Amino acid sequence: MSPQPQSAVGAPLSRVDGRLKVTGKAKYAAEHHVDTVVHAVVVDSSVGRGRITGVDTRAALAQPGVLKVISHLNAPKLAYRENGSSNNPPGERLHVFQDDKVHFHGQPVAVVLATTLEAAQHGASLVQVRYDAERPSTDLARAPAHDPVTYARGDADKAMRSAAVRLEMTYRTARTHQNAMEPHATIARWDGNRLTVWDKTQWVGGTQTELAAVFGIPRDAVRVISPFVGGAFGSGLRAWPHVTIAALAARVAGRPVKLALTRRQMYFGTGYRPAYECGVRLGSDRRGRLTAMVHDIKAETSTYEDFQEDVLAAGQMLYSMPNVRQAYRRVPLDVNTPLYMRGPGFATAAHVIESAMDELAHHLGIDPVELRRRNEPAADESTGLPFSTRRLRECYTTGAREFGWQRRNPEPRSTRDGDWLIGTGMAAGVYETVRKAAKARVRLDADGTALVEAATSDMGPGTYTSMTQVAADALGLALRNVTFRLGDTLMPPTPPHSGSMTMASVGSAVQAGSDTVRRQAIKLAVEDVRSPLHGANPGDVVVRGGRLHLKDNPARGETYQRLLSRNERTHLETVGSFEPPSGPERFSLYAYGATFAEVAVDARLGLVRVRRVLGVYDAGRIISPKLADSQALGGIVGGIGTALLEHTVTDHRDGRIVNANLADYLVPVNADVPDLRAIYLEGEDREADPIGVKGLGELVHIGVAPALTNAVFHATGRRIRELPITAEVLL
Amino acid sequence: MYPFSFTKVSDTREALQAGRRGGRYVAGGTTLVDLMRETVERPHALVDISALPLREITVTERGGLRIGALARMAETATHPVVRRSYPVISEALQLGASAQLRNMATIGGNIMQRTRCTYFRDVTAACNKREPGSGCAALHGFNRSHAILGTSDHCVATHPSDVAVAFAALEAVVHLLGPDGERGVPIVEFLLRPGDTPQREQALRPGELITAVEIPAHPRPLKSGYLKVRDRQSYEFALASAAIALHLRGGVIREAKVAAGGVGTVPWKLPAVEQRLIGERPSAALWADAAARAADGARPLAHNRFKVELLGRTVERQLRTLGGTR
Repeated sequence: MSPQPQSAVGAPLSRVDGRLKVTGKAKYAAEHHVDTVVHAVVVDSSVGRGRITGVDTRAALAQPGVLKVISHLNAPKLAYRENGSSNNPPGERLHVFQDDKVHFHGQPVAVVLATTLEAAQHGASLVQVRYDAERPSTDLARAPAHDPVTYARGDADKAMRSAAVRLEMTYRTARTHQNAMEPHATIARWDGNRLTVWDKTQWVGGTQTELAAVFGIPRDAVRVISPFVGGAFGSGLRAWPHVTIAALAARVAGRPVKLALTRRQMYFGTGYRPAYECGVRLGSDRRGRLTAMVHDIKAETSTYEDFQEDVLAAGQMLYSMPNVRQAYRRVPLDVNTPLYMRGPGFATAAHVIESAMDELAHHLGIDPVELRRRNEPAADESTGLPFSTRRLRECYTTGAREFGWQRRNPEPRSTRDGDWLIGTGMAAGVYETVRKAAKARVRLDADGTALVEAATSDMGPGTYTSMTQVAADALGLALRNVTFRLGDTLMPPTPPHSGSMTMASVGSAVQAGSDTVRRQAIKLAVEDVRSPLHGANPGDVVVRGGRLHLKDNPARGETYQRLLSRNERTHLETVGSFEPPSGPERFSLYAYGATFAEVAVDARLGLVRVRRVLGVYDAGRIISPKLADSQALGGIVGGIGTALLEHTVTDHRDGRIVNANLADYLVPVNADVPDLRAIYLEGEDREADPIGVKGLGELVHIGVAPALTNAVFHATGRRIRELPITAEVLL
Repeated sequence: MYPFSFTKVSDTREALQAGRRGGRYVAGGTTLVDLMRETVERPHALVDISALPLREITVTERGGLRIGALARMAETATHPVVRRSYPVISEALQLGASAQLRNMATIGGNIMQRTRCTYFRDVTAACNKREPGSGCAALHGFNRSHAILGTSDHCVATHPSDVAVAFAALEAVVHLLGPDGERGVPIVEFLLRPGDTPQREQALRPGELITAVEIPAHPRPLKSGYLKVRDRQSYEFALASAAIALHLRGGVIREAKVAAGGVGTVPWKLPAVEQRLIGERPSAALWADAAARAADGARPLAHNRFKVELLGRTVERQLRTLGGTR
């Protein structure tokens, strides 16, 4: 921990970039002005599988303003080298415009370049593509699977046979899309063999390596800029085909190219959370102590890439039990490749585990909270490691108290309010604490202001603000005198802005760099005979409000400005680093939460309305409480969507996504989002990282959907094992 | 979007001239512009009629209500006479679209709005409404939101309007002005069932302009309201809806006007339900028995079978809400 007084960290600040955002001055990917830019619009495949037999571009090219139409017939061949530092799953990524094959409905098959967006759009609608179409395979329930990833401890099958209580269920969750506000967009410009792109991405470094690999150029020849991201929820973690198309088109056109996906195109032009079918078997004794669990999990992936996410870990460590067997099969379909979406893997796993636990609690007549308490492990049973911190019991206690859980009549369908059946439910949540190597440049200028830079991203959690807070405290500066910049590959490298690892990784690097610069200044002062601090022990000096002084004698000191100008130093600078501990982990590192929910169900009309949701989180230290709330409430809203509304619908006849727009793909609107509340257990995790955080953004989404569906069961007595829960099922 | 010309007209004569030359009328543009962007609609000429003097909402000499075709959804919903005498209209409007859309969209445009069938709105899919003879992708596709009433083998798309359902219940008349003069058409005749010409959605003659929607005078005061059932609480089209107006005197239902939305290819008037109600005393049994007739003749599809049950329950619930008794 920092020896510095912590006044900015922990303060409920508004976003430091809030004014820029609400005044429209924050520039998103498609908004950067690049001279001589031309517009690109992608033509998508209207068949779900097959070959392109012809591309008639005459009508498009005849339109005023249309410059070029690029397809596999005339596109330059690209290198498509392997890229080890990316989120590309095993397999071979889609090669744009390199052959006549169609792998999925909506695959890019051509791009139209024009001097105006309107001309490009119109041109794209005039390109006639002919296909030799085949019927695609898009149904998870009907297609064969890859070999499974498996896990086993003990003998789950044997234990199941001898268990006093056995339950067997299958849960299905729909494919869902991230649906961020900002559409994906890329502007690409070549200067000779150097490529600059302005991109919507959660990882400028990933886009950089991918473009370098695709075009066969050195990594350093690619610069990626992404200062603002209008939400992403995981969709910005790969450089999707359109990013390559923009760069390819810019090379062909000899001019910068801007390409923005339409909302419709985002449903097949970027990733999504795959549909899942999860078989679960639970064995327990009569007191609810788990003896065995078996998971048979199936999820969709594309035919060309084998996307996997961590749906197994939670089942291995959330509860104590000697016997576990898991199999995770990916089913290759004629679809585009899925990707991470908020709470990846764990959200799905939690839905399955926490729904099953609720079924067990009801079966045994044990309170759902009590059942979970009875199965708390003493250590991580998947690794044998001790938990760094695990305060799930406190989450239950605090949550139950604040929610009023004890007032609940455990009998399903026992509470009514007019036409509404009222129910409450709860679920645990868990997400791994991830941290990776990161760097941050910290420069303290002679005017007493600091500039901190790292190549990270801010897709919404408030990276700008939280990093400013960490730097301000470590440097001893007022917040207004610290500027944090991000989103440029020229800045020090950081890991992907995902997996709730940004605060732990980048935040630790920012703190390390800021500590170093502060110590440099202190050293300069105590060694400077003209400084009032001359001769002082550096360890006795702190900095507050830009003034260095003795901890015990604040009168003795001077400002950064005086110190630097007297020493004729324009600035002090360093690059701070964070490296996770090398060697095997000594602790099991996870963030935990418990979600409590109340719903009202009009069973006659098939309506579910959420009344209130409370989340209690053991996420380590909270750097920025106001933005943490913003994260938590957003994560809960996403969970409401998962449970009740969101569903990407595929027409299996031709692989078409039939609801590829926000009128037909339903996300919660304000009226669906009632009384939401988040509570964070105070504390920090000293084992996780130097700033004591465990990660929050993923965790807050995990466990929301099962808390809601468990509440629907409690309200109605009906167990619905397929998400989303819609009217036709409840009628 | 296909190229088009755009002309702003300042009086109805100019509008009709432009309409006769094949121009498409546009006011709020909240449906048409969307569909043009998707290239579902490809008009070569748009005629902006928003400056025409057709925005007034007035009580007619006979005591009916005349809503100018250009009255905005929002201002119609909050108009004092509408609120007081026709809550079913006000509620139907306020439960539709979003605040932003209601501020732009007009009453004339609302009843002209086109279906939300996703295959209609996706130009790469087969759709007889968009491209006659190409087939109906919805018939055996994903048809959860589609109609169970008034369908044909050529089209099963739902009419999306809420207020048109209220208009149908109240037996509103659409006033039209065309090259041959004025005429009035009852809304239930104005909006056409698909039959084998699903591309024809309204009984409009070439160049005709909607000038107003008139609610005829109902000498007996009506208690009315609109119930809309949908997956989320706002900003979504109806899975099923019921527009109902009742007049009770001496504990007996003297008048009943009932129409349903979200279930028909057009707003669906329910005469069998109305007839069952008239002359009866409110009771839970009556509501159930009347509502049981709501889905008479329904032809459900693979994904919308639930609407048969849901429609009856929606009508029953709204009857109870208006007519009382639990």
